[in-house]
Amino acid sequence: MVEGLGDVLARPPQPPSPDGIAALRTALDAGARAARAVGGWSQEEPLRLSKHVVTGLLRCPRRALSDDQGAGGDDVVVGWVVDAAAKLAAVSPRRHVTVDAAVAFLSALGDGTVAEHLADLGPAGERLTSDAAARINRLTASLAGVDAGWWPRVEDPVRAALAGGAVTVAGRIDVLLGGPPTGRPGVIVEVKGGRWHDGMRADGHLYALLVALRDGEVPASAVTIVSDGTTHVEHMRPALLEHAAERLDEAMRVAARLAAGEPPAMLPGAHCGHCPVRPDCPAGRAWRPPGDVAVSAP
Amino acid sequence: MPSGGNRFRPIEGEAISSGPGTDGFHLASPEPIASVAPTPRKRASDPVGTADRLRAEAGRRIAEALAGAPSPGAVGDGYGGWVAAREAATCPARYRGEGGRGWGFPGWSPPLAGGACGRAALAHHIAEADRSGRRATLPMPLDAIRVWMRALRAPGETGDGRTPPVERSGVGDWVCEVWDAGDSATLAAVAALAGRWLAGFVRVLGWPLPPGLTLLNAPGPAAVSTLRWRPDKASPVTVACGADARLGRVTGAGGFALVVHRVTTGDDDALRDRAAFEAAAATLAIGVAPDSVLTTAGDTGERVTVPVDDDLLALGTERVVTVVAQRVVAVERGFDPTDATPSRACRHCDHLADCPAGEAWMRVAERWRGGLPVL
Repeated sequence: MVEGLGDVLARPPQPPSPDGIAALRTALDAGARAARAVGGWSQEEPLRLSKHVVTGLLRCPRRALSDDQGAGGDDVVVGWVVDAAAKLAAVSPRRHVTVDAAVAFLSALGDGTVAEHLADLGPAGERLTSDAAARINRLTASLAGVDAGWWPRVEDPVRAALAGGAVTVAGRIDVLLGGPPTGRPGVIVEVKGGRWHDGMRADGHLYALLVALRDGEVPASAVTIVSDGTTHVEHMRPALLEHAAERLDEAMRVAARLAAGEPPAMLPGAHCGHCPVRPDCPAGRAWRPPGDVAVSAP
Repeated sequence: MPSGGNRFRPIEGEAISSGPGTDGFHLASPEPIASVAPTPRKRASDPVGTADRLRAEAGRRIAEALAGAPSPGAVGDGYGGWVAAREAATCPARYRGEGGRGWGFPGWSPPLAGGACGRAALAHHIAEADRSGRRATLPMPLDAIRVWMRALRAPGETGDGRTPPVERSGVGDWVCEVWDAGDSATLAAVAALAGRWLAGFVRVLGWPLPPGLTLLNAPGPAAVSTLRWRPDKASPVTVACGADARLGRVTGAGGFALVVHRVTTGDDDALRDRAAFEAAAATLAIGVAPDSVLTTAGDTGERVTVPVDDDLLALGTERVVTVVAQRVVAVERGFDPTDATPSRACRHCDHLADCPAGEAWMRVAERWRGGLPVL
């Protein structure tokens, strides 16, 4: 049987012991200090890492340093609407969240980007809104009606300052449930507007690490809810936190070399398909998906 | 590595500053925070006398600054809180350039009301428990916010007003207006942000809340509504302390601390500056100098105690006076790039196109993003 958020909240697993958190912080701090020595960052001018930057540095440094981070196309906007709908479902007593309600919620939070985008599209935006509505219906049901004792918090900020503040790792958890001082284990909920892929797990791992560093308690689970209907539940264990710390450490090393002037490596892969700098990237242009055979004219 | 200017700029959507890092900080602890012990440093030995002297000095310097205005009423009423102090100290030219539009209260909005509503809801939760003679239970953030919102709309016990006098506040009146307008999106946004504030505050300070904690800048019998000071009745200047709570009772011997809770530490990296401003503002408003300022951070869980001494109060007073001085200068000279001080704020500055220093800074900064070169 596939486990969902409701199952996790009904029978939350025992979170791992917090015993290893101090050692993880010490190791990360040592890694950050070593990176700082190469990268030259300071408390006033720090390296700022987020989940996107960490993933970007490990996946393809050339892409991570691109000035062109990709425009907010319709797919991105749909993702924003779905994300907002999930958060609204988590904090609102209402059972059904509409696209209009999600867009209004975003605007009330001070982000009018989506409303402006839809206004610009006019009637042509109907396909976008119907796509978003279908995804919202699949996604919000599990978030609506979460017991208030779980303390649903949306966009819960989390940040770790390492090496005296020369390296910061920050993010906002889509929905955080439980954790101190609720007396219930922490559950991280990440909402994704697109299609499930295995790389999404890393975001939940990183946030679990940051929450553990912040709260001194390891969250019990990271749940990724995807608008394609997928729900991925991952119960935290020490190995996952260690893996997240290793990724972070490696990202700091890569960042240090880049800040020191080393040319960025170009690491082609599936991400090249939607990379905005692909036209200027020889490795990216040459990359083909597995099984795809380049056809040339005779 | 390039030199000159700040080469780093924030990542969109992420925290925009670092805070002081982990050195010397403490992870949040479930244990209640003990009352603040006197610090052996240059702590004011006479908290009341210190406050008297600070009031006299701040009043004199504010009067001197106002005397530089072209006419007595030229400056207009000035409200000096932490945001104005930070803006005026960060880039005087930009602060002056904001003019009446930027200096005034922009009106409530969910992002602006989150902290105020969170404090009000927590104060209401505590007051309700006090009224019933029982200990307050751990508040569930969203429930606490909704209960407070409903109380705002409950019929008054003592008068014809819809809101009981005990609950009245500016932000409460705004919430009622939003409710009456049927704006459920804004109410949901307020609940989300206020709930986040409340959750972070309780998480970092622990529950039960530390002994002797009194909420500040919140309505109701369990809180102190405002902490403000005017140099004299005729002065156009009001200094406002934005601390969230006080630890300990105010006595002539001091013995209390201010609590400043920040949801994220991305909005300012000048922790000592913040502590200095709030300490000075509270000293002016209360008439007694606090022992320390406890600054807490929701995003890192850190708690930092900044002892209040003469140096800190002097720094805070300087920040207060700077706001007034720049308002006076602005009467005749608004934005003027000669004293512009480039920083990350340049990215969002309306005057960037007219500011050579800011443009030069941006030319360097745009080549870097979050500590990494941009290609």
